[in-house]
Amino acid sequence: MDEPLVWQGRLTARRRLMREAWSCAGGGLLWLTLFLVLPSLLVGGMAFAGRDPYGQVVWDFTLENFRRLAGFGALGWSPAYFYILVRSLWLALVVTLFSVGLAYPLAFFMAGLGPRRRALALALVAIPLCTNLIIRTYAWELLLSPQLPPARLAAWLGLIAPGEALYPGALGVYLGMISYSLPFAVLPLYTNVERLNWSQVEAARDLYAPGWQVFARVILPQTLPGLSAAVVLTFVPTLGIFAIADRLGGATFMLVGNAIQQQFSASRDYPFGAALSLVLILLTLAGLLLYRRHQRETALL
Amino acid sequence: MRGRLLVLAVALGLALLYLPLLAVALYSVNAARVGLIWQGFALDWYTRLLHHPAILDAARNTLILALLSTAISTLLGTLLALGLERYPWPRRPRRLLETLVDLPVVTPDLVFAAALVVAFALVRGLWAGFELGLPTMIIGHVTFQLSFVALVVRSRLALIGPTLSEAARDLYASSGQLFWRVTLPLLWPGIAAGALLAFTLSLDDFAISFFTAGPGSDTLAIYIYASLRRGLSPELHALSTLILLASVALVLGLQRLAQKES
Amino acid sequence: MHLLCLLCLLLLASCGKAPAPPPAELNLYIWSEYLDPQIPADFTAKTGVKVNVSMYESSEEMLAKLQHAGGAGQYDLAVVSNMLVPTLVHLKLIQALDQGRIPNRENLDPLFLDPAYDQGNRHSLAYQWGTVGLLYNQAKLPDLEPSWAVLFDPARQRGSFVLIDEMRDQLGAALRFLGYSANTTDPGELRRAGQLVLAAKKSPRSRGFEGGVGGKSKVVAGLADLAVVWSGDALKAIEEDPKGELAYVVPQEGSIVWADAMVIPARAPNPGAAHQFINYLLDAQVGAQLSRYTRYASPNQAARPLLPKEDLENPVLYPPAEVRSHLEYQREVGEAARLYDEVWTEVKSR
Repeated sequence: MDEPLVWQGRLTARRRLMREAWSCAGGGLLWLTLFLVLPSLLVGGMAFAGRDPYGQVVWDFTLENFRRLAGFGALGWSPAYFYILVRSLWLALVVTLFSVGLAYPLAFFMAGLGPRRRALALALVAIPLCTNLIIRTYAWELLLSPQLPPARLAAWLGLIAPGEALYPGALGVYLGMISYSLPFAVLPLYTNVERLNWSQVEAARDLYAPGWQVFARVILPQTLPGLSAAVVLTFVPTLGIFAIADRLGGATFMLVGNAIQQQFSASRDYPFGAALSLVLILLTLAGLLLYRRHQRETALL
Repeated sequence: MRGRLLVLAVALGLALLYLPLLAVALYSVNAARVGLIWQGFALDWYTRLLHHPAILDAARNTLILALLSTAISTLLGTLLALGLERYPWPRRPRRLLETLVDLPVVTPDLVFAAALVVAFALVRGLWAGFELGLPTMIIGHVTFQLSFVALVVRSRLALIGPTLSEAARDLYASSGQLFWRVTLPLLWPGIAAGALLAFTLSLDDFAISFFTAGPGSDTLAIYIYASLRRGLSPELHALSTLILLASVALVLGLQRLAQKES
Repeated sequence: MHLLCLLCLLLLASCGKAPAPPPAELNLYIWSEYLDPQIPADFTAKTGVKVNVSMYESSEEMLAKLQHAGGAGQYDLAVVSNMLVPTLVHLKLIQALDQGRIPNRENLDPLFLDPAYDQGNRHSLAYQWGTVGLLYNQAKLPDLEPSWAVLFDPARQRGSFVLIDEMRDQLGAALRFLGYSANTTDPGELRRAGQLVLAAKKSPRSRGFEGGVGGKSKVVAGLADLAVVWSGDALKAIEEDPKGELAYVVPQEGSIVWADAMVIPARAPNPGAAHQFINYLLDAQVGAQLSRYTRYASPNQAARPLLPKEDLENPVLYPPAEVRSHLEYQREVGEAARLYDEVWTEVKSR
């Protein structure tokens, strides 16, 4: 540890270097430990605690919360929480698919523009990001109201009764979610597409490769870092969203996020909320492991 | 054919992003108080906003929260990235730390908002004077911004590479000189991008603010959410349109700044 | 270099930011649309104490705020549902009232003095009272059957409806529909009521849950045909409706009668001002002004002569004897509270 070594042009000792490293990164690491790791461990522990009739936590070891998760609730057995989980996963999957599916053309379109137009396009994508999630959510409530064109069109097509809104319901949640995730999907993809090696694409075309092969064999591998970033930035927040499902889904479209939020406010059942959060953490950790395995670079911007 | 499909996809994407916001802007100038029948053009709702102390407080809270949390997270995140990238960490600890730092990026913010609530509840159990408020909100925001900043800065560091630092060392640069005259100027775009990302994330956030806010420290998002429970109102539309216009100004302004720098 | 300077300046600015609250301020935590804004303005003019009004939409939200989010140390005065007063006392979230500072309590109707939920009015004094019922659009649903069946019986549902996001009120409605007491502690009865509400929520005619004035807002906006609401909100909507299409009815199976109470949180920063304001609200004039604004029934006996005759004879506000016989006060259910909570959580989560 004390032998001299040369690191990035510098003659020093490993111990000295590592001490510097810790003092540099230490602040951030300490913060993350204090405010991320410890609270997460606390949540893990609280998932096994109980609750008294007044909403206070009772620190006795119990598996009650997990029993409820497995379906043995106050209204008899029901696979309700299982459905909630599956519904959340499915929503995240569909939203990711659509968002990334729309993000690709958008990214290519933007990359093909001249520099000034490109900046404008970037701005157009970034602006909704700065307005708040809540505003974008209730904007959909307004847009899907009975008196506005979308609902009127649906009523005219006979899809819904006249005078009805297009929410609360699954459609509103999906639309709201896709619209929310789109900028998060476009931005990383765009930065990747911008640096695309077009000569490879040209070479493939010169070799008479059909369109889909050009995409699958040349473009896709090059955009993989951006794509994986886009997927993560879309899939993960969708799993935990509750505001959109709350406003656009009413109480009829329950997601894990809603269930968790409810435990921490109205129901005041922190241990059960902790158990739900634990499940969500495990889901995302599984996702993270998969992400790490396919990851090539950490290029995000 | 492919060109047309592309344009269609782009149009759909832009529609999804902007149609709802345009609807809000449209109804913010509708004279009708209740309902959605168009009753003429009116700017009343905007003037009413100015006399709303709750909204002004919420706006101030939102801004202070965003600025402070961005400042702290940019500082900590940059140092974190430097500490991880520029030093000879052994392979195992490095992967562990990288996973730790990546955690907030790949965790739904609801989860660690809930974790913070639990932690703060426990702290209150031990120290009765502890209350939720702006400080707890800042803590919540910094925690997830940190990872994003670190991510951005790390990728920038990877792009720069160690060659220039080595060259500077070969020319007998001290650590201080190396940092201030080589690393920082090269890293600056990455830091700025990270800070911008952090700022945007703070403005866009709802979940973490919602869970860590105390009475009196409402952000605009929380205020709007609470008002929504009472029904849509034109004042909300006016407020949202103003926020939209502020976002437009912010983004275009920053672009102008970035263009000037380059 | 510039960046660091900017950061330092920001940090310094934040340190000097938080000023101590000015001495003469009252933080009030109350349901939305439940207080005539003129009243706190008049109070400020009279006493110099500034009143900050914070609003909530559901009892559970209020309870969560007081219990877990520091509300007990931030608010000076809260208006809460009477049924929660024993819980708040048990959780040590409210303090005892200094009766000496509230001479106007004599103005209250004896019915509201020394109630079962708060013996001797040690912790609370009545604010307004009302009933739980259905607000509906008569034009869309003429001759509506005055029964909870329009929510719970698929064969007798008539139009789209909004359920109320209040655990005891909504479960109480289902319990009354089934012929049980709204204060039952029987798990079987509760379960059946829960299943009814759950089925109603999942029905295609349901428009979700709304707390406080949300249900009324949806009916007024035309997004729903009927909603479970409180009497005062319904009366406001009826009177403000330009087309005169709205009506309120208390279902024949019976419903809930409730009274809201003024309480002072345990660590209120300014309890003196809180007592002053309570006393001010119990004044006969102010009591009448309050009821005229909120459109709820007043527990203030001294205020009654100051109320318009149409109000006193309005069955929505002051239900006639035969309706009153079917009304039930909500009571604490002790250990069964946990069961109510669980049933309600299941209803909301599934």
